[in-house]
Order: sequence, then structure tokens, then C-alpha cells
Amino acid sequence: MPRLMIVDDEDDVREFAANFFRKRKIDVTTAGTGEDAIKKAQAEKPDLILMDIRMSGMDGIQALEAIKKINPVVKVIMVTGTKPDENETAKKCLELGACGYVHKPLRLDELETIVMTNLK
Amino acid sequence: MVVNYKRELERAAKTMILVHEPELLIKMIIRMIVQKVRVSHASILLRNPDKNSYVLSVSRGPLGVKIPEGFTRMDTDNPLIRIFREHKNNFIFNTDYLVIEEGRKFLGTTADSVLKQLLSSAIYEMEILETTVCIPCYFRDDMLGILLLGDKKENAKLGNDELDFLIALSQDVAMALRNAQLFNQLRDELENKQKLFLHTTIALAAAIDAKDHYTHGHTSRVTNVSLLVAKKYAEKHKNLNDQRFIENVQIASLLHDIGKIGVPESILNKQGPLTDEERKKINEHPMIGVNILTSIHELKEAIQGVKYHHERYDGKGYPEGLKGDAIPLIAAVITIADSYDAMVSDRPYRSGMPKDKAIEEIKRCTGAQFHPEIAPLFLELYQEGKV
Repeated sequence: MPRLMIVDDEDDVREFAANFFRKRKIDVTTAGTGEDAIKKAQAEKPDLILMDIRMSGMDGIQALEAIKKINPVVKVIMVTGTKPDENETAKKCLELGACGYVHKPLRLDELETIVMTNLK
Repeated sequence: MVVNYKRELERAAKTMILVHEPELLIKMIIRMIVQKVRVSHASILLRNPDKNSYVLSVSRGPLGVKIPEGFTRMDTDNPLIRIFREHKNNFIFNTDYLVIEEGRKFLGTTADSVLKQLLSSAIYEMEILETTVCIPCYFRDDMLGILLLGDKKENAKLGNDELDFLIALSQDVAMALRNAQLFNQLRDELENKQKLFLHTTIALAAAIDAKDHYTHGHTSRVTNVSLLVAKKYAEKHKNLNDQRFIENVQIASLLHDIGKIGVPESILNKQGPLTDEERKKINEHPMIGVNILTSIHELKEAIQGVKYHHERYDGKGYPEGLKGDAIPLIAAVITIADSYDAMVSDRPYRSGMPKDKAIEEIKRCTGAQFHPEIAPLFLELYQEGKV
């Protein structure tokens, strides 16, 4: 079963997204902080990570950078806040090795497509 | 426990009258639904101001069922949005709402393949959001939002009284959203009116400058300086009407010389000193200004500035020879800005005074010609390099 890790510091986002993908026969694990995400990226070896950028403490971009150093093959999709971020942030994420970039509020069908395509 | 929905609605209506912010009202309504109807979760999709999408804005329910707020959106091509926008006249189920069970039954009986396709996609969207009932909120033909409800506890079916209750609440949601829209429209219109008024005033002021060649730009310079002085005054004397005072100063200083329209051009543009008779004619301009503006009742306070901007603190000014604090502050503000500009500007028969000399003159005349509280504010602005 493909493994997905959802990283977000908001409980209901994590729970909702986890439920959503579990119903699609995906093995989902979650992390509530950047630090936790780094640990789990090493221990649980997910195929794909859905990473929120704006988190208290270590933010998503820092976590992305650290995870890519430990596990260069893992795919990471970045999720940004409610306001569309400047192109700069998107560019930086892609440079650091992210494979996708979506912003909230997002269309669930688009989220499904981008996750499913990258898990194949 | 049996809930008396009629009584709940009455109770809700009483609370709603007190709440004017739509966001707060919608939060209250969602909370009430979860508590009274006992559904696993209740959420609302609200139309974005750009009208191109609906965002899941408010949601209540236990963790795991609650849909995160602001996380998802549905564009207008989403089947769930389309089904309510395109089939408002409820010919599908003869109801105002969509219950997932009824929808599934309908799929098995209809022969309309286009509708079948749309409905089955809409049902799929409901499944994703673990929603069993959708109730749209309309204002006329405009769909402003959709209430989304989860399962009822113990998998019970929603009764007709409950559905009626929910429909009534969805109408309240629509009303709240509509009120907020109206409020915003009103505010925009008011802003536009204020802009129109200000621009009209500026156009009138331009008419004076066009007539009086030698004071070109005088009005806008006096307005700028008057505004700076008025703001400084407001900073030092904080009170509730500061904003109004500043606005009145702006209008009054724009219009302070409007009465010159009634003074012959030959006098205004005369090359050389004026005779007593001509001086008398020019001194009429504040009162001519008052006569021009007097029918605009909204300008009552600004007119005080136009009327008295040639009064002097020692009572030797015109038109009434008002003395001391009998002179309205708005006029004293314009007097200082007007006098300074007159001193440093060139005239056909004399060249302007150097700035530092004009400042000395203002210092010398503070308390005599100039208001002892207003003139120092102007001097401060000069010190700060702002005039």
C-alpha cells in the first residue's frame, strides 16, 4: 500500500485529510510539527509527504529542507496558507526538491489528483 | 428529549436581531444546529466575494468529522454547486434541500442521463464531506451558501419538523449574508458620494484659481498647509470630532476664496496698489462666498471658515471684526495658512517676502493678528520642515 504522510499543525486539517486518503486505500500517517515530520520521514519512510508551510515552530520549508537531506527520494507536496503566496516561495520549495505546490482553500478533486498521481 | 423547534426558532430569532455581523451569526446558527438537531457535524460553504467559488468557512463537530475551516473550496463548476444553482426550482425532489438517501433513490428511477450524471457527481462530493443533507441558502436567484449536515446521531433519519427548522435557519443565513452585502454596498456608495463631493469642491476651487491669475496654485497650497495645521491641532486635543474637524478644514480651505468669483477681474488682476474703493470690493469676498455656499446646508461648519478667514485675533479684521475666541478655530487655521502664502507669493506690484522673514512676521503678530493657539502650530510645522 502506498504511504502518505500529512504534516499540519492544525488537528482538524490532519484528521480530515487523513480520513479522506484512508478511504482511498492509502496508508496515512500524520505529524503535527516539523520536527515530528523529520523523525517520521526517517522511521516510517513515506512515499509522499503533504506539508503545510505555515506552522508554528519549525515551518514547512525548513522541514522540507531537512527531510530532503535525510531522504532525497521522498516526494513532497507543499500546502500554503489562505492567501496565494508570492512566486518566490513556490520557487524556493521547488528548488529545495518539492514536487508540487497547492494553496488553501483547495479543491478536493485537485488535491486527490495531485496526491494520487504522485503516489503511482 | 423532544425539541420544540418552533420555540427554538423563536428563541433564535430574538438572539439574531442583536447580532449584526454575519460571520458571528452564522457561527451561532451552526452551533445551534449541532446542539439541537444532534447531527455529527454541520458546516457552511460560503460564496467568495469574487463569486467564483464557495469556501468551507464555518464547521462544527468532533475531531475527525469536523471539516477544517478555510481548507477546501468548490468552484462554480463543482457538481454540488451546479446542482443547486441550476435546479433552484427544485423540480428534482420537490424540496428545497438534498438528502443523500433520496438522491440515491432518484438515481435509480430517472431516465435523464445528464441529470443523472450531475446528481451522482454531487452525491460523490457529499460523500467526501461525510454530508447527508445539503440545504442551499438563496437570496432570490442568488445562491449565497450551502449548509452541509452530517449524520444524525444513532443514524436516525431527520424528521420533517427538523428539516423545516433547518430550512428556516438557512433562510436566516441568507438574510445575514444579504444584509452584510447591503451594508458593504451602502458603505461603498457613501464613499463614492464623499469622493464626488470632494472632487466637486476641488473643481469649484479650480474656478477661483483660473480667475485670479496672480495667485495661481494659492488654493491648493493653503489647503495643504491648513490640513497640516488642523491635524496637528487634532493630535494635541484628542476628541471625538477630530475627523470631522479635519474634513471641514479641508473643504473650507478649498473654498475660502470662492467669493472672489464675485469680484471684478480688473481689481483681482490689477497691476499696482489698490484704491480704498477697490480694497473695499475685495474685502467683500468672504461674504460673497457665504452667499454662494449658503444653500448647501451640509457645509454649515465649513462656511464658518470661509466667512471668517480674514478676521484677526485682536478684532481688527473683517467682515465682522470678531475678537479672540469668538473667531471659529476653522477660520483661524485658514487665516494662518492664507496669510503665510500671501506673504511669500509674488504680486504684480511687489515680490514675495523671504520665508524666514514671513516666519518672523507671524511670530511678531501672534496674539494680535493670529490666534495664539493656532499660530504656534504653524511655526512648529515650519521648524519640522513641513511647510
